[in-house]
Amino acid sequence: MRSLNKGVLLGWAFGLLASMGNGSALAQDDLMDFFGEDDQPTVVTSAFKAGRIINVQSPETSGEGEMNFIIAHRFGRLSDGWYDLFGLDNAQMRMGLDYGITDRIQLGVARSTFGKTLEGNLKWRFLEQMKGGGSPVSLTGYSVAMRDGLRLPDDGIVRKGVHRMSYVHQLVVTRKWSPEFSLALIPSLVHRNLVDQPDRPNDVSTMGVGFRYKLNRRMSVNGEYHYLLPRPIEDGLHNSLSLGLDIETGGHVFQLHVTNSRGMFERAFLAETPGRWQDGDLYFGFNINRVFQVRETH
Amino acid sequence: MKYPALLLFCVILSMACQAQRFVTRDAQISFLSETPLEDIQAESTESSVIFDMATGQLAFQVPILSFHFPKALMEEHFNENYMESERFPKASFRGVVEGLDPSKEGEQLVTANGALEMHGVSQDRSVAGTMVRDGDWWILETQFEVACVDHQIDIPKVVSENIAEIIEVTVRAELKLK
Repeated sequence: MRSLNKGVLLGWAFGLLASMGNGSALAQDDLMDFFGEDDQPTVVTSAFKAGRIINVQSPETSGEGEMNFIIAHRFGRLSDGWYDLFGLDNAQMRMGLDYGITDRIQLGVARSTFGKTLEGNLKWRFLEQMKGGGSPVSLTGYSVAMRDGLRLPDDGIVRKGVHRMSYVHQLVVTRKWSPEFSLALIPSLVHRNLVDQPDRPNDVSTMGVGFRYKLNRRMSVNGEYHYLLPRPIEDGLHNSLSLGLDIETGGHVFQLHVTNSRGMFERAFLAETPGRWQDGDLYFGFNINRVFQVRETH
Repeated sequence: MKYPALLLFCVILSMACQAQRFVTRDAQISFLSETPLEDIQAESTESSVIFDMATGQLAFQVPILSFHFPKALMEEHFNENYMESERFPKASFRGVVEGLDPSKEGEQLVTANGALEMHGVSQDRSVAGTMVRDGDWWILETQFEVACVDHQIDIPKVVSENIAEIIEVTVRAELKLK
């Protein structure tokens, strides 16, 4: 301790001499001290580019007053070959609107051709990842209610409106490890009021993982995988695996991908993916995200 | 015995220095990118400034993430695509004020010569502005231009009609005696 004090004193003395010499060295150090004090923790933003990693939710929401219009296409099976032009003859669509109530709370509606499904969803990033103190991850909750819109089959079974409904709740735990690399863990719970086969469970859980790796300021490689947690029976359904590329051009984000899930809403790709990559059950698709500022803020 | 005396001397001297310091942590900095297609404006009120009247030294520190835009997407693009705020979280200016008469009341035209650093690239600049003494306060105002290319801020061709190559920066800082 004593020698340290001496060192500090010597430092002071030298600083003093220097400051008398040209009047700057000591002052410069103090200026730095003044700035050092205002290093507040900052929010880590933009872990992902768009509201979805590929199929699944990312932690990103529409900004306050922003309306995000998402047009998603998913084509037919690549293995269908030339006759269907590798699936391009056979497009499914999902059109969605996501509105930012605040910078962290988003309300959305969407319609998919797949199952003529209408959905309403709510997303809330309730904890931000901080740099320089605070949470090491961001936490985002997402809930969606889906309504199947297909005509009911004439099979003598009485179904009510409530039987068309299914729900998914998920938590997106994200960490942006570096400006380039972000990783998300996404546990999900799927509940169906009515299942299409008697031996299928109403509730299914999945554990998902997603990432993005930025290639440059405008492009990134994305991926996601959802593991179906063990179910009581062998139901012939598979885990969802998707790989894609995000391309940003000003107000648009284009997302191109290949996936074994054809449905673009949560219940379908998490719990009802019948095909596998190794069997050639692959679908090409893309999302176009277009942002409109409908209410100006700040 | 020698050390305590020296220490005392240092303390007194540093107090004397302190008396010359004027500071703020909420200076206003705004900028404007003007093109026929689109005007983009942003403002920050979280910059720190320190001015040492004895030496004329002036330093600014500007947290890039503190700039707010009327549209969230503009703010995201600013931080992600242009300023790369995570890699370069702060812009700064360190220089010396010249042409200031500390004893004079009223507005004075001054020049600050020093280094302007943003996006990790430092440029020597000479910036003209005004300073007004008001009791324990110095009010400092300036307006200057920054060329994106000087700080290696790339503007891709696709958006070159929406973003100006030269950005107009306006600064107002009210510095209080520390």
